[in-house]
Amino acid sequence: MRNRNVVSLLMLVLGMLCVLMLAHAQNAPEASEKGKEVYENSCAHCHGVEGRGDGSAAENLLPKPRDFTRGLYKIRSTESGQLPTDQDLFDIITEGMPGSSMPPWDTALSADDRWEVVAYIKTFYDGFKESETPPRAISLEDKIPYAEESVEIGKGLYVDLGCVECHGNVGRGDGTSAPTLTDEWGFQTWPANLAQGWNYRGGADTEDIFKRFIGGIAGSPMPAFEGDSFLHFGLTAEESKRLSELENKDEMTEAEEEESGKFYEKMDAAVDIALNRAEGMELSAAEQQTYDNAMKVVYEKSWHLANYVKSLTPEKRPESAIGNNVLRSQYVQGALPPMDDAAWETLQSGYFPVVGQVVIEPRQFNPTIDSVNVKSFYNDTEVAFLFTWDDRTQTIGDETDETTGKTLEDALAIQFPVKVPQGPTAPKPYFLWGGRLPVYLWHWKASAPEQVTELTAKGINNAEAQEAQGELQTQSIYKDGQYKLWVKRALKTDDKKDLQLEPGVFVPIAFSAWDGANGDVDTKRVMSSWYAFVLEPVPSSKRFIYPPLIAILSVGFLFGLRAFVQRRNSEEV
Amino acid sequence: MKRLSLFTICLIILVGSWVFLRFVVGGVISVPIPSSVIGMYMGLIIIAILVHISVEDSRFREFLRPVHETLIDDKRRIRRRVIAVLIPIFLLGYTYSIIAQRANPPGSPRDAHPSPPLELTYKDAVIGTMQDVVNPFRHYEKDDPEAFKAHVENGRRVYHQNCFPCHGDHLDGQGHFAPYLQPLPANFQDPGIIPNFQESFFFWRIAKGGPGLPAAGTPWDSAMPIWEDYLTKDEIWDVILFLSDYTGYQPRTFGEAH
Ligand code: HEC
Ligand code: HEC
Ligand code: HEC
Repeated sequence: MRNRNVVSLLMLVLGMLCVLMLAHAQNAPEASEKGKEVYENSCAHCHGVEGRGDGSAAENLLPKPRDFTRGLYKIRSTESGQLPTDQDLFDIITEGMPGSSMPPWDTALSADDRWEVVAYIKTFYDGFKESETPPRAISLEDKIPYAEESVEIGKGLYVDLGCVECHGNVGRGDGTSAPTLTDEWGFQTWPANLAQGWNYRGGADTEDIFKRFIGGIAGSPMPAFEGDSFLHFGLTAEESKRLSELENKDEMTEAEEEESGKFYEKMDAAVDIALNRAEGMELSAAEQQTYDNAMKVVYEKSWHLANYVKSLTPEKRPESAIGNNVLRSQYVQGALPPMDDAAWETLQSGYFPVVGQVVIEPRQFNPTIDSVNVKSFYNDTEVAFLFTWDDRTQTIGDETDETTGKTLEDALAIQFPVKVPQGPTAPKPYFLWGGRLPVYLWHWKASAPEQVTELTAKGINNAEAQEAQGELQTQSIYKDGQYKLWVKRALKTDDKKDLQLEPGVFVPIAFSAWDGANGDVDTKRVMSSWYAFVLEPVPSSKRFIYPPLIAILSVGFLFGLRAFVQRRNSEEV
Repeated sequence: MKRLSLFTICLIILVGSWVFLRFVVGGVISVPIPSSVIGMYMGLIIIAILVHISVEDSRFREFLRPVHETLIDDKRRIRRRVIAVLIPIFLLGYTYSIIAQRANPPGSPRDAHPSPPLELTYKDAVIGTMQDVVNPFRHYEKDDPEAFKAHVENGRRVYHQNCFPCHGDHLDGQGHFAPYLQPLPANFQDPGIIPNFQESFFFWRIAKGGPGLPAAGTPWDSAMPIWEDYLTKDEIWDVILFLSDYTGYQPRTFGEAH
């Protein structure tokens, strides 16, 4: 009898869970068609019907969709100058190219369809048919694991090999040559911001990074560091170190001249062998040995370099502040810290991704700014913000846009509503600089770095500087591809057009940013939706009173319950 | 082997259901379920259990027996003491975590598909009533497949020059800008969208964009542009043909049940 009951109870609960489960299961991926069909349905609008990278969407895009007719592929597991393997193509189609418009197709296309389309895009370039031997793969065998010493060695190589010239001192893509680069097809291209691993086209594992500079990024100005172009190719690590020492001397003795001469000869010989090999000549056993030794050093150094690059980027893209994450301003007693105060280091920054403004013409389809990071402190009378954002170039209003003739400069705008909406259903101003309801903005421009202008706007093209400019204090700095902007304001002002701040009240906040070197001006910019900002109230002291009280009460309750049961028991007996 | 007591079984069912909802359904199978929804399901399960044990007096007593024993039986002394310590500690931690919890911003409830106006307009010119207007090119699907294909192709072009950064190449709402917009761009592969509305509804949404929504749709948050500013009437009708052609879903036609 009891068993049956238990079974029926279990059935009841299981039945309910099944219903709930069905309600939550996701759609199964739907089937689609093959090869050419898949290509024409999913890829041709970008890559073009004939694979020339000239689909109808291509006009607006940078980097441009790949032109498949040249056989140049960026993301390969194969040596410099080689074609990619089928697996490489399959993987890049599956995972997409982050930081560009090339989407991942892992969910939209079945694995079969992706293999079919790999076969199809290969038909655009005859080289795939003509090559008899399979492409030479980059060996990952002697991987040097990630460690502090390795990172240190890599850091030195990063400078010696000239990565700095493109990627900048700390890797934010702000090197001196950064604004001048064009790719094989003549389009402008930017060196990767190595501090943002989530935007690497080919992934940010050390193996991925290693493959990128050993194999090169075909079509891009980033050189392949395989073989003969490598620093001191053909020398052992010690010889290379010695040669650097010699080269750094102001004057060499005769013996030293001779010593360095030997090194150069050795390097020349090794480079010759490498060139012969690249042309497909047979190498003698001795030559092969020389080549292998030289490559061993190259590979070793490249692992150190990969470990260094890895150390520049966080493991994952920071969590976006969209959803429950909000910008929380921390209370401090006394004066608020100035821009370079160490107190800022104690705060975690809110990460606010921005996207190209594609709502209103002129639009920005190819943003170069990834996000704005924000920290904030407040005290009884004032609030201070520290905004940081990466921008590869400092443009301070001395350049003009070729087509519009407008002055280009870097800028940031922070947007609040003029009045905080009361309650969750109350209307907010339109997220793009207001509309019927106005917004209150702080507008900072690189040409006047010590000044923030207060604006009131009722639309993206309808902003005015406030007549009464309040007392905003501002500091800013541009260093190594990153802007820092510090702004301080009173919590309350006399101006009715200003936002008034109060602890504990959630205020909508949004951002716009302009990268002058990317042609950003007026509506062409990056922007965010509304996020939330709050002056985090000082935690209430109730948290030390109620919990112990409840714990004590619960002990009392347990004792009372026991006494009650005991009494009833004795009464029953 | 000792039989499990009814109390233990109920406890196992409760804990098991929670783990199942929280980690199996809301993890392995699908996206996490909001805690309020889990709370609701758990409430239902508790009610089911209560109903079950209170149907018969004897069953109720059997259910309470272990509780009873733990409270007064001398053989259960150790268990009693452990519980007398654990419960207050748990409550202490729990209330502390509730009081010290940081406030979260008020969520903004949003009706993703509020009712459209009665009249469909394009740049202030009235096209007709929302109920009656049909896509002027839809009839080619039967009458002239070649012309229909040309319109779909034009819609494809319009889509890929304007819509894909948000709505995605695959029309699944996963364009490369999408994750950073709130609300998220619509997912046209979701069977709950295209089949549920007439083409005039989509014309209205595309022509007037986010700002054209009534207050229930939080027009101030939506990044959906006002396309009548940039696209011709025909281009809007064409892109609607493309949306339904690519996804394979037919928009609702007038007269069908909702
Ligand atoms: C929205 C436009 C778009 C669509 C749709 C698209 N791609 Fe791409 N694709 C790009 C862009 C842009 C690049 C180049 C990115 C770069 O150079 O950083 C690219 C690059 C590639 C590459 C080159 C990878 C490399 O290593 O250089 C392959 C292969 C590729 N796409 C295949 C496909 C296939 C197959 C499809 C269809 C299933 C497809 N793409 C759909 C935009 C697109
Ligand atoms: C001539 C300029 C130049 C030099 C020198 C240069 N790079 Fe690059 N690098 C680029 C450009 C441009 C890109 C972007 C390639 C693309 O995606 O089209 C890039 C991309 C990268 C990437 C990202 C790869 C990916 O998956 O997106 C890494 C990592 C990298 N470089 C590392 C290095 C290292 C390490 C060095 C020095 C050994 C170096 N680069 C030297 C221009 C350069
Ligand atoms: C800047 C991003 C963006 C672009 C570009 C964009 N949309 Fe949207 N769209 C959205 C967002 C966000 C929503 C959801 C919010 C809403 O309903 O307004 C949406 C909603 C929609 C809806 C309503 C769907 C429904 O469930 O009722 C339609 C239809 C639509 N978009 C079509 C288009 C078309 C067609 C284009 C190109 C001509 C386009 N969108 C371009 C962001 C965008």
